[in-house]
Amino acid sequence: MPDLMLQVTPTQTIPGFLVGEVQSKLAYVDEAIASARVDPQGERIDLTLNQPASPEQRSEIIDKVQHVVASLVEGAIQPKIQVLEDHMERPVPYRSDPNPELLARGEIFQEAQGIIALGPLLSRLMEYFESRFLELADSFGASPYRFPTLIPARYLDRVNYFHSFPHSLTFATHLRSDLDVIDHFAEHAACGEHGLNIPSQSFSPIQTLLSPAVCYHLYFALADQPLPDGQVIVTAVGNCFRYESNNLSSLERLWNFTMREVIFVGSKDFVLDQRETARQRMQQVFEEVGLAYRVESATDPFFIGEFRKQSVFQSAFQLKFEIRARLPFKDATLAVGSYNYHQNFFGRHLNITLPDGSAAHTGCVAFGLERMAYAFVAQYGLDPEKWPSAVFEAMQ
Amino acid sequence: MIDSIQNNPLTSQVQAVLSTALQVPAELVTPGLAFGDLPQWDSMGHMEVMMALENRFGIEISADTIAALTSMPAICAYLQENGHA
Repeated sequence: MPDLMLQVTPTQTIPGFLVGEVQSKLAYVDEAIASARVDPQGERIDLTLNQPASPEQRSEIIDKVQHVVASLVEGAIQPKIQVLEDHMERPVPYRSDPNPELLARGEIFQEAQGIIALGPLLSRLMEYFESRFLELADSFGASPYRFPTLIPARYLDRVNYFHSFPHSLTFATHLRSDLDVIDHFAEHAACGEHGLNIPSQSFSPIQTLLSPAVCYHLYFALADQPLPDGQVIVTAVGNCFRYESNNLSSLERLWNFTMREVIFVGSKDFVLDQRETARQRMQQVFEEVGLAYRVESATDPFFIGEFRKQSVFQSAFQLKFEIRARLPFKDATLAVGSYNYHQNFFGRHLNITLPDGSAAHTGCVAFGLERMAYAFVAQYGLDPEKWPSAVFEAMQ
Repeated sequence: MIDSIQNNPLTSQVQAVLSTALQVPAELVTPGLAFGDLPQWDSMGHMEVMMALENRFGIEISADTIAALTSMPAICAYLQENGHA
C-alpha cells in the first residue's frame, strides 16, 4: 500500500480565524495534493496525495505549504465580524444531508467536478428565488441588462483581477485559424484521462475568459464617460465561473454557477443607501421563505499575495456582508448572497465619472441561485408540502 | 484643518512615511491628500500606509481606525491625539 499521506507541522500555529482560509488555499499548492485538512488547533496539516511522491517531491510540497502558511499567518489581523442580522435559530424541519436524496431522485447529476446539472425540483426552486430577486430589482426600478458569458481578458486586466484572484480564473480559447491545425485536431482529437490529447500550441492565445461575476460587464459598459444622470441601477443574471480546485464540492462550491445581481452606480451615499435598503427588503423576503440565516461581514477569497492586506481592508471598511444560510445537516453555513460596496475602485480604474468629475462609486447585491435552492432543501427537504406556504403556493 | 496641519512639524514626518509606503515622490504627498487621490493610494496602498505608520510611530492601529485614516489631515490629527504632536 503506497504511502499517500503527508503530515506537515506548520512553523507557526495557524490562528482559528485563518484555519479555513489556509485549508482552502492548500488546494492550489501542488497538483499532487488530492485533499488537505488543517486541524482546528492549527498545529497540524494532513495532506492526501494523488500518487506516491519521492522524498524530494515531499520536501518540495512541504516547502510550498510552509510558504502559504507564512504568507497568510505572519502579521495577520483577526477581522472583526459584524453581524447585521441573525435568524439562525429560525426553526427548520429538515436535518438530513439532502445530497443522497437529490442524487437518487435525479435532481443533481454531476458531469464533472464542480459542474452539476439540475433536475425539475431544483430548477423550479431556482426560478422561484429568481422571481423574488427580480421583485427586489423591480422595487428599485432597476433596468434589465443581459451580459455575455465571455469576458475579454483586457477588461479583467484593467481592474487588477489577475493579481487578486489568479487561482480562480477560467480561460476560454479556440483552435488557431489554421487549416492544418484544425484538420489535425479533427483527425486526432480524443479525450483521455488527462483531457484532450492536443498540443497546447494548437490553441489560440488567450484573449477571453469565462466571466467570474455579472456586475463587471456593466462597469465596462460605463467606462470612460460621465455617468448618465449621475446614477444608475441595473439588474442582470448570468453564468459565473470560479475554479476552486479540490474545494469544488456538491452544490456548495460549483465551478459554473448562476448569479442574479442588482447593481448600483453613483455617489457614495447613493450606493450605500441602496445597499442597505436592499438588505432590509430581503430581510422581509427571507422571513416569508422561512430561511434560517445571518448576515455578517466577510471578505473576498483573495489569493495568497494580496489576501492579508485586502481582507483587513475589506473588513475595516465594511465593504462586504454575506447572507450565510444554515446547513443543519453539517452544523455549518453557506454564503448564498452578498451585499457589496466597492468604494470608487471601478470608478477610478475605469474612469466612470459623476457630474462633479469625481470617480463614481459602485456596489451590488448578488445572489447565487444554485446555492439558494440547495440551502433551502437542506433546511426544508424535498417534499414541497412541508415547505413554507409562500414557497409551496408560488410553485403550484 | 489643512492650514493647521501644514504648520505642524508632524506633517513632514507623515509625508515622508506616505511617500515611502506608496512609493511616490514626496511632492505628490500634499497636505490635503486623501485615499484614492493617487492611483498608488488604493486598498493595497492604504494597508502599506497603515503598516508604515505603525512601524514609524510605534503604534497599533485598530480595524476601526484603519477606516478612519483616509487622508493626510485625518492621519495627522490621529497621531496628534495619540501623543505624537
